[in-house]
Amino acid sequence: MAEFTLDCLGEACPVPLMKTEKKLEGLAVGDILIVSIDHSCAMKNIPEWARKQGHNVEIDEVDDGEWEVVIEKTK
Amino acid sequence: MPETGQASSGSSIRRSTSSSRRKPKKNQIPLGMLVVALMVVVGLVQANREPMLGFYWMMGGIFGFILQKSRFCFTASMRDPCITGSTSVTRAVLIAFAITTIMFTAIKFGYASMGLPVPGMSYVTPISFATAAGGILFGIGMVIAGGCASGTLMRVGEGFFMQILSLFFFVVGSLVGAAHFGWWKEKFIIHGPSVFLPDVFGWVGAVVVQLLIIACLYKAAVLWEEKKIGGTQD
Repeated sequence: MAEFTLDCLGEACPVPLMKTEKKLEGLAVGDILIVSIDHSCAMKNIPEWARKQGHNVEIDEVDDGEWEVVIEKTK
Repeated sequence: MPETGQASSGSSIRRSTSSSRRKPKKNQIPLGMLVVALMVVVGLVQANREPMLGFYWMMGGIFGFILQKSRFCFTASMRDPCITGSTSVTRAVLIAFAITTIMFTAIKFGYASMGLPVPGMSYVTPISFATAAGGILFGIGMVIAGGCASGTLMRVGEGFFMQILSLFFFVVGSLVGAAHFGWWKEKFIIHGPSVFLPDVFGWVGAVVVQLLIIACLYKAAVLWEEKKIGGTQD
């Protein structure tokens, strides 16, 4: 089980989501991806997309207007 | 769907980089109170000069607040079905359209039934290929800029730097467009037919037809998501 980070600070929707999609594709099951975002819209659509794909998702507000989306790849 | 936007306390995903390195967050509530107080003062001053100005100021503030809190995004409603297959925002927009259809028809019918001039009729403008071309151009622009007009304004308010740039060119483009609008209107727009549905179907018919179209789009959105993802889970 490895842990990866993806820096999407300053990127507007839908770039963070598309980067997450690509990055997650290359990961093994059980790996964890931490996506850093500061676009409020990505805070909604990344977790929504990942949950619909069936992955485990958690959101951490690390600062005002800055979030980390933690995704555990399950399949 | 679980509540998003709240910092998770009981973490179920094991991660090595603990979140303890996090800086303590500044309490923004006193600042928020101050801004609300300032907004009320400005609103009162405006309302004193011209009652409608105070009303516009208040509505603008409320609209922005709801837009930000609900993360309502017209761009996402058209874009997400293509990118991820999710139509939850699309369906939210369709529901908003359905509600406004009923409310605006009620307002207009109220005026018409009292024999008064119907308000907002200047927005019944001709439709032509110019409408479609403009829609496509606007759509391309809003996906690249990461937000439509209201979305860009809302995110500038949130302090997202890239969209301050969007706002700047949005203003530039609007000014150029406004300066040239007369030419386009005379050459293309004016030749299209303008349709006001209640004139064609009657007041009740217009609402029924429009709601039926919205219902069909809603059903299409549900089917689209089922096809792309396999079920609407929210």
